[in-house]
Amino acid sequence: MFDLILRSLAQRKMRTGLTIFGIALGIFAVIVMGGMSEHMTLIVDKSLDLMADSIQVQPDGTMGGIGTINDSKVRQVKRVPGVRDASGILIAALDPEGGGGGFGGGDMVFGVLPEKQMKDAKLTAGRYLMPGDGYKAVIGSSIARKFNLKVGDELELKSKRLQRTSSITHTRNITVVGITEYTGSIFDSAVQMPLDKAQKFYGMENTVSFIYADPAPGTDPEDLAKRIELSVDNVKSESPEQLRKRFKEQLVVFSLITISAAVLAAIIGGLSVMNTMLMSVSERTKEFGLMKALGAERKNILFMTMGEAGLMGIIGGISGIAAGGILTYYLNGVFESQGSALFSVTPRLAVIALLFAITLGIVCGTYPAYRATKMSPMEALRYE
Amino acid sequence: MSNDGNNGNSKGPILSIRNIKKTYNQGKIPVHALDDVSFDVKKGEFISIVGPSGSGKSTLLSIIGLLDRPTEGSVFIDSMEITKAKESEAPRIRREKIGFVFQHFNLLPALTAMENVDIAMRFSGIPGGKRKERAFQLLTQIGLGDRVKHRPSEMSGGQQQRVAIARAIANNPSIILADEPTGAVDTKTREVIVELLKELSKGGQTIIVVTHDMDVARQTDRIITMRDGRIASDTGSEMK
Repeated sequence: MFDLILRSLAQRKMRTGLTIFGIALGIFAVIVMGGMSEHMTLIVDKSLDLMADSIQVQPDGTMGGIGTINDSKVRQVKRVPGVRDASGILIAALDPEGGGGGFGGGDMVFGVLPEKQMKDAKLTAGRYLMPGDGYKAVIGSSIARKFNLKVGDELELKSKRLQRTSSITHTRNITVVGITEYTGSIFDSAVQMPLDKAQKFYGMENTVSFIYADPAPGTDPEDLAKRIELSVDNVKSESPEQLRKRFKEQLVVFSLITISAAVLAAIIGGLSVMNTMLMSVSERTKEFGLMKALGAERKNILFMTMGEAGLMGIIGGISGIAAGGILTYYLNGVFESQGSALFSVTPRLAVIALLFAITLGIVCGTYPAYRATKMSPMEALRYE
Repeated sequence: MSNDGNNGNSKGPILSIRNIKKTYNQGKIPVHALDDVSFDVKKGEFISIVGPSGSGKSTLLSIIGLLDRPTEGSVFIDSMEITKAKESEAPRIRREKIGFVFQHFNLLPALTAMENVDIAMRFSGIPGGKRKERAFQLLTQIGLGDRVKHRPSEMSGGQQQRVAIARAIANNPSIILADEPTGAVDTKTREVIVELLKELSKGGQTIIVVTHDMDVARQTDRIITMRDGRIASDTGSEMK
């Protein structure tokens, strides 16, 4: 039967080709958009892993964004029973004109206490920050690649401050003392510098964006997060688990937006299969009628029509995955030379895309196939 | 010709039609396409059904071929009442008991002569090697051994109809039902087709032909004439 399916598809080359192209285009969109969403998921996962099990404390009412907290709150947090240590971190966009800040949103500057800097990412060159460092920085691998920086090079910081109605941009060079390895996390696009210098440069003395509190051994992070909220005024705190949950929820929204656009494209591809198959079935009224008269069973005709639709789905799916894979590979190359990659076409994504293409082909082939099996042989044969 | 039509019980009739009625509703007006039609067919008989348009001959053929159901009455093939068969059993009965030949040949245009004969056997689950062997043997028998790889568009009407006949006998059916088999060919080709059918009949194959053409009908063993959904005359019953 398979040879008949191939024969029938090959007989209508133009139509088969266009239908396969429609599916391929949809699956291509799924791969590109899905690849972006997968990449974000991976970055968030790795970033959260690197943040380990600190409790994140931020001003009340700024959930999800970056606010400011007075330095004095760090001391208050430290005094909460169960807190081993706490430190503040100031976050700013490396290029205020280019926007950014937050996950996946451009390059960032982290003002950190040198003794509290994130050391889970290994250095590929230079050293970590040390107490007493002035305008020195440890930069992530993407920053190093994007600005072509080596240890000892200078990087320009920019800050934008509002003065009355106009904003003035300050700049200052900072010396690179260390470069961290590629982690696949937000730290690849981060510049870590001493907190005091960052506060001074950005004009935010005695201010931090977040406070990270380490639980004492044996302390339940969930309980401690609640305790911090109760003990310190006007702050919100999230345990690593809550943080993970919140980011996952945000990711779901992001994935829904990107993937639903792609799925829409793929469904349109699927409708083209349905249209082609309906046309093909009505054109072959006589053929199916004849097959029934020759003793074909419903399952034979179903197999043939759904096989045609499914095969177009498979070929379209594979072509779409291949095209999407090639494009994202190429774009990643381009983006990597300017910073970091944007897409991750994971095996999971490829398998999902292929299954989606096949399902789409078969589902959209079902109704035409059903119509084909309903064909009365007598009516079909009188159809001249 | 070695085809002998299987399943035949040489004593009883191979086909029995009992009090067949078929009524269509044209709007609110009932139309009696067939009205109390009964006859028997013996194995190996070559029968023609003739009559004016609308006399019910094609409806009768469709009912025998299980392409249509009667309003009343029964059809028995090899003593099996096919009119009682479920819809799901119809394909198997068509495969095993009936071979169709149509006026417009109805070959699949994308397939070669060989594949067109082969397709009838596919649905019976005959393995590929055997199907090819039989298709080639049948095409050679009907004188188209050199046309096996030709597509319908590369063959004359007569050649196409011979391929269709080969396809009809491929599964060794009990009966061949031919609906105007010479309706779309010239006089010379008509003789070739009729000769082929006669030869098959001599080999023991039961054949029922619906035709307008009295020249064809006269060459068959028995002529059933239909008029207004009834049998007007049957040379077989006259012979009895």
